[in-house]
Amino acid sequence: MTNLAESEHVTVPPRRVPGQPDMWLFVLFEAMLFTGYFSVYLALRTQNEDLFLQSQADLDLRVGVFNTIVLLSSSWAVARCVRAARAGQYRSAMTFAAATVGFGVVFAIFKVGEWIHEIRLGNTFTSSEFFQHYYFLTSLHLIHVLIGFIVLGVLIYQLRSPLRRSQELVETCATYWHTVDFLWVMIFAMLYIVR
Amino acid sequence: MSTATTLPDAPEFPGGSRLQRFAWNVRHHPKRELWFAWYVMVVFYNLYGVLFFLVTRVQPPPSPDWDTPLVVQWFDEHHLGLLTGFGVVFLISGMCAPMNALLAYSMWRMSVSRVFAYSYLIMYSLAALPGMLVMAIAMTVGALRADRDPELIVWMYDFAFLSFSGTMGVFLVGSVVWLVAILLDKNNVFPKWFAYLGLCNALTEVVVAPAWIFQRGAFAWNGAIAWWINMVVFILYTAAFIVLLRRMIEREDFGTGPLPDPAAKAEPVKAAR
Repeated sequence: MTNLAESEHVTVPPRRVPGQPDMWLFVLFEAMLFTGYFSVYLALRTQNEDLFLQSQADLDLRVGVFNTIVLLSSSWAVARCVRAARAGQYRSAMTFAAATVGFGVVFAIFKVGEWIHEIRLGNTFTSSEFFQHYYFLTSLHLIHVLIGFIVLGVLIYQLRSPLRRSQELVETCATYWHTVDFLWVMIFAMLYIVR
Repeated sequence: MSTATTLPDAPEFPGGSRLQRFAWNVRHHPKRELWFAWYVMVVFYNLYGVLFFLVTRVQPPPSPDWDTPLVVQWFDEHHLGLLTGFGVVFLISGMCAPMNALLAYSMWRMSVSRVFAYSYLIMYSLAALPGMLVMAIAMTVGALRADRDPELIVWMYDFAFLSFSGTMGVFLVGSVVWLVAILLDKNNVFPKWFAYLGLCNALTEVVVAPAWIFQRGAFAWNGAIAWWINMVVFILYTAAFIVLLRRMIEREDFGTGPLPDPAAKAEPVKAAR
């Protein structure tokens, strides 16, 4: 009876999204914005499919796959960071946050390397309509990655001192990084996979 | 804790006609300067839309790919609209000052350094040049000097649209200053989602840069990405900050701490409506 009485008073915590709800609005804004960019890309592609396919053949799918694996690994690392922070294991959380930065740096280096390779092949921003979109989408995404480094810097700064630690902030930063990853998966599918 | 000060004392509202209520608000309302700046902003953006989209017809922009006879013909067809519209633009350009002051005030009211408000104010004082006046001057010259060499008219055309569409750097940095201030602010002057919307807006400002390179396609100054998507985001962003500034004024208590929640605390001095 006592247990029953106690269970009657157990309050179920309200369901909430991880991190600041405001950050999820950012995810929505970004998803809408990139949907617009993808729609333009696909619409133009249908008008000139041969040219797009021909240009697309110059992209190295292996680099795209490698970068996708790297960013997915970074998302895994930031998810582990959130889990560790939730468990109060802040040293481990900082290690995973640093690993996320590391994966991000690898991604950026390979992305710039890919650009240099394409420019050497003669595929520049003005060489074809496909490469206009390629450089536009990948550079806009790289700007998101660079902003992500600032976000992860804030995350590590907050984790370093017990006075500054906030689980909500950790989750908010992680949500931003997952958005960066999510956008890349979409861009990868559009530029490298869709034929 | 908020260190709110009491709103300045105002004499008892005497009642009376709509005009009397308006006159009382103008003389005694404790937030009259803020409301003045806000209404100037609303009037300005409405005029801006009408003048640029309907009167001068420079928005949505015509093609950057036109040859000389087409550009000269465009100036000829829009002669009256260009002169009338940009004449009004010159007249209302001073409205930017109270608008920018209100935007800077929002940062002044935050718990962040004054550097944010000052840098935003200085940047947006300059923004009227690429955002409005350079185009107005170039278009007016093109319309008034139709007898000049057609190549010079085309030069004016390019100069007007490239200065308007391609110089978004000042707006980009302004958006970033504002969003960083909002993210750091502890006074809840603006919701954090507006900072994230500001980031989206700032990123779309980057996207117009290719307009300098391309004369056709999605990245030209009239393109689907460089203009249409950018304009949708800009309109959403502008509408959001106009509404949020109104809420800020309603909540303003002239203190230095967090702005009160409107549901929790009524204004000490009500406006006469």
